[in-house]
Amino acid sequence: MLFKISIAGVKSRWKDYVVLFSGMIITTAIFYMFEAISTNNKFTTSSPAGQNAKFVFIFGSILLAIITLVYVFYANNFLMSMRKHDYGLFMMLGAKSRVISKLIILETLVIGIMSTLIGIVVGIGFTQGLSSLLSHEIHVPLTNFSAFYLPAVWVTIILFFVLFVIAGLMNARTFMKTSALKLLRSNQQSDWQDPKKRTLIGQAILGLGLLAGGYYAMYDINQLKLLAIGIGLVTIVLGTYFVFNSFFVMILEMVQSSKSSMAGLNNFTIAQLKFRIRDYTKILSVVSLLFALALGAITVGIGFQRMVPMIANGNSAYAVGLTNPTRQMKSLVGDLDVSSQVTYQQKIDPAAKTVYYRASQLQQRPMKYAYFTNRSQLKSKVGTASLSQLKNPSSEAYDSLVNLQAPASRTFKIKLVSDTSFDQLHAKQNTLLLVRVKDMDAASNTLTKLTKLQSRQYGQSMTEMPGGGAFSTYQLLKGVFGSFEFMGIFLGIAFLAMLASCLMFKILSGAASDKVRFEMLNKIGARKSVLTHSILLQILGLFLLPAVLGIVDVAFGLQMFVKSHLLQGAYQTFGWSAVGFSLLYLIYYGITVLVYSKIVVPKTKVEK
Amino acid sequence: MTTEIVRTKELHKVYDQNGPRPYEALKGITFSVEQGEFVGIMGASGSGKTTLLNIMATLDQPTSGSVEIDGQDVTHLTANQMSDFRSEKLGFIFQDFNLLETLTARENIALPLSLQNKKPNQIKQAVDAAATKLGIAELLSQYPTQLSGGQKQRVAAARALVANPSIIFGDEPTGALDSTNARELLDTLTDINQQGVSILLVTHDPFSASFCKRILFIKDGRIGDEIDANGKSRNAFYQEILEKLGTFEQ
Repeated sequence: MLFKISIAGVKSRWKDYVVLFSGMIITTAIFYMFEAISTNNKFTTSSPAGQNAKFVFIFGSILLAIITLVYVFYANNFLMSMRKHDYGLFMMLGAKSRVISKLIILETLVIGIMSTLIGIVVGIGFTQGLSSLLSHEIHVPLTNFSAFYLPAVWVTIILFFVLFVIAGLMNARTFMKTSALKLLRSNQQSDWQDPKKRTLIGQAILGLGLLAGGYYAMYDINQLKLLAIGIGLVTIVLGTYFVFNSFFVMILEMVQSSKSSMAGLNNFTIAQLKFRIRDYTKILSVVSLLFALALGAITVGIGFQRMVPMIANGNSAYAVGLTNPTRQMKSLVGDLDVSSQVTYQQKIDPAAKTVYYRASQLQQRPMKYAYFTNRSQLKSKVGTASLSQLKNPSSEAYDSLVNLQAPASRTFKIKLVSDTSFDQLHAKQNTLLLVRVKDMDAASNTLTKLTKLQSRQYGQSMTEMPGGGAFSTYQLLKGVFGSFEFMGIFLGIAFLAMLASCLMFKILSGAASDKVRFEMLNKIGARKSVLTHSILLQILGLFLLPAVLGIVDVAFGLQMFVKSHLLQGAYQTFGWSAVGFSLLYLIYYGITVLVYSKIVVPKTKVEK
Repeated sequence: MTTEIVRTKELHKVYDQNGPRPYEALKGITFSVEQGEFVGIMGASGSGKTTLLNIMATLDQPTSGSVEIDGQDVTHLTANQMSDFRSEKLGFIFQDFNLLETLTARENIALPLSLQNKKPNQIKQAVDAAATKLGIAELLSQYPTQLSGGQKQRVAAARALVANPSIIFGDEPTGALDSTNARELLDTLTDINQQGVSILLVTHDPFSASFCKRILFIKDGRIGDEIDANGKSRNAFYQEILEKLGTFEQ
């Protein structure tokens, strides 16, 4: 009987449940995705980042579990806000509160188990998709990695089961304590108290001061060392809370007291937003901090990746140097988007440890070489090597040429000789093909094939850098930074999806009680477009404020990386990742507005 | 000469018309309200009084028939025209006040004028005037949570009045008030009415209805009966309503 009532209850609000359900599934899927990496010891320890990676994943796992808890809590609140009235009614009809408690726990668990199981399946799909996409995009081979990983499945199931049991018990407890009448009228309650001016100003100043202190600590990392992170964590968390609780509210009050607030629903919109911000202070602070963490993770991850081609390009103007390329190699070079290539003839005298080149060739078709103009900013230029530079063993041009030769001759001297002398040398004539590519990332796959063929030709293992040019540096760094980047993007997207869903459900769970307000506004003559406009602005405020604060946090937080010379071009990367990140975030905003409007905007009844 | 402020003609409303079980809530209602009248509509639950109120208030449309308010046929308006019409010509007083808790009394009263994009000066004057009329001038800076039930309902009445509507609709406005506050509000409505504002009250409470000048009884979607105060004392009218209800509902 209980089960029947439960099912009937769910059926009657099917649309709302679909939102709740899909949110839960996404959350489970994301958690699984993360666990699929973090519980896979083989994968994490085999990646070059090694111990660092393990640390990042433990840290990430804990954070994600906390967000998941918050998320399940809010989603559950949404569930309860939909069912309160029904439960109140059952109690009015004489159902014992023990029976209702059972009903609540049962419902919560059924929804929880179903969404967890579906979520894991979706998660396996996501993991497969995202990992192959990322490994393709950032050219990191993911060895020992599989989308389906049993320990990850268990961790996900156990964690979510425990969370839902806790959530169910908490809900049941709330109901045992609330009277039937209160439940029936739960929609009509509201407890707005206008905050005192003095407290507001005090808190606003305190909040801004704390934030400023935290930002300064991160800026001054060279002096404060590890202390900067400690100070930053405490001051920024507290500062964010106070800024939401007071500063933003104060700003809105100022806007509200201006004359323009009297037009249309402006006053209502601002007042609602003010009320919401104060009511949601905790979740907004969490969202803002997580937004910062996620954006920071992505920025740093991508930043490392962006550095790879920059370092590689500063090391050599040519991607690879191919000694006596085979036909197969030549055809692979033909597939590349080559910006320039050049061939030189060389003869090697192993006894004299010397490699001879025709001076005439190097004069007619000069070699290019790369050099850093600013090593700390990774700025480099490409120069044309003159003969005198190539005769000088301490010049960068000379060095470049040496490194582009086959590994066996890299310890030899270089000599430029006249055509006659060159022809008279009794040694095998080699050709050295130097290839310069336009885009290292795009050429990566073909270049990998080329280097493989080359090592086979030289009879050496890959690790000895057969290509010698920029690509070998590129490959080496990719191994190290690639896993950082993979984790950064992965964590960033996972955090974003979770936090945006949290915010979404928090807003949606208040929709039921806002319905009355919008109905009244409709009755006193607010056009539908005016109502929609007000909703767009209200929810925009709730999404925008934490995002803005989060972006500011990252902007200052990056100073830690810049000042300690860990990351180059951080702010450029930051700009782009902030844009991309905000676009993803915007999708959540759109969904929230759509669902919320559907719940609160009264439909004009036209039945003819 | 009096003019008609509301005039309905052969109003029909069928819910779920093409569904398996169509339900006819209104079965041809024709009546009118004169300028400055105070009319009550009484009926049991499910009699169709809320449907009728919603149609007159342009919140719903009839299946057939017409409604004219202040000389304008409101049954053929677009959604936006209906909204504008409501904000300019109609005032509402609801059972549960429906004040916005996040706005002060002044801001709540100002809402209909803000929706018409009136100038701040005009809004201030109109709000002050309505508040004075209802004796709540000192309460304007308070939030609804700081007000008593009766005060809230007077704020709601001021909001209904502030845009100088052609008619005020009251939907069980005393439903959430104790007898003292209910009495006060009804006296206030009578005052407003005496200053020339037309009022249409939907109620099933005979005491509230006894403040009206004329009462229409609705039963099963039709106007079943009509009584007029005709200068009788309020008490006598109250007795007449009770008697009428006693026979009418059988």
